[in-house]
Amino acid sequence: MIKKILIVDDSPISIKIIKSCIPTDKGYELFDASNGQIAVEKYKELKPDLTFMDLTMPVMNGFDSLAEILKFDQRALVIILTADVQIKAVAKAHDLGAFSVVKKPPAKESIATAIKEADNALAQRG
Amino acid sequence: MLKNDNIKEMITDEETDTLQEIMNIAFGRAASDLAEYVDIFVILSPPLIKVLQAFDVPSYLNNEIKDYDKVSVVEQNFWGKFKGNAFLVFPSGTGKRMISLFNSENKFFESEPTHELEKETFLEIGNILIGACIGKIAELLGDVTTYSPPRVVVENGLRGVVYDNLSDPDNLAIVLKTVFEFNEKNVSGYMFILTKQESFAWLKTALYKFLEQYK
Repeated sequence: MIKKILIVDDSPISIKIIKSCIPTDKGYELFDASNGQIAVEKYKELKPDLTFMDLTMPVMNGFDSLAEILKFDQRALVIILTADVQIKAVAKAHDLGAFSVVKKPPAKESIATAIKEADNALAQRG
Repeated sequence: MLKNDNIKEMITDEETDTLQEIMNIAFGRAASDLAEYVDIFVILSPPLIKVLQAFDVPSYLNNEIKDYDKVSVVEQNFWGKFKGNAFLVFPSGTGKRMISLFNSENKFFESEPTHELEKETFLEIGNILIGACIGKIAELLGDVTTYSPPRVVVENGLRGVVYDNLSDPDNLAIVLKTVFEFNEKNVSGYMFILTKQESFAWLKTALYKFLEQYK
């Protein structure tokens, strides 16, 4: 079951928006990181059950951060939440091992569905 | 003349951040539209928002592209409640590399001057990127925009393209800048969107409404 969620985005307002879309009745613990590199460090420290990852960020972009996180933890569940909706960008994210891709701006429904799918995947793994 | 403190009062940090995120979403959509039209992957960078006195915009833009002697510029004006000018700026020499985007076999008629092909290429790319980006910004902020036909200046300076639009130097301008790269063509470029002080009041309300839906 998902308990800890890490949100990675360089935009404070985007983090605020994503947090507002995450259901409040499940008691999720929310954490955030402002670029891909900080995300890798926080992932190692917090071991979140689910990560929402932006792609276009300074210092380390979301593709590299995703690869680093999956190198550390092959079972990491990372949902790409991005404005970069080019077919090649989405394909690259999937090839790298992203769990799913959600486009910005997020809607409460799309975030809730994405979390539910991740929760199901986690339950199936046992 | 307005001082920096006055400029800061015109737009809050939260408004700037929201506009930056909206620009990020809008340019992402524009890149996707372009990638559907031609076989290309656009590498995106986080956008940057600056509020400047209109008087300072030309020097700011010149400083941003100071590494290039000449540039090619696509300019398009847009009108709505969100109103201003959009510029796509490409460093010198990029036109020739981009022609093949629209003609993958590289078969040109000898009678067609390269200059004209470059111009048409820039027009196509400008039309897609500017139209999609401004259109998405307007959509997210609840506006509808109309556009002037794009204007292209190949291998020239910014002077005369941007300067003409800043006739009232006491006005403020919001500059939205994004840098992008066309992966396959080793081409990078800039998009600048200038919106004038007359759009500020509407913009502040629209940004507030945009955030309201998440509260």
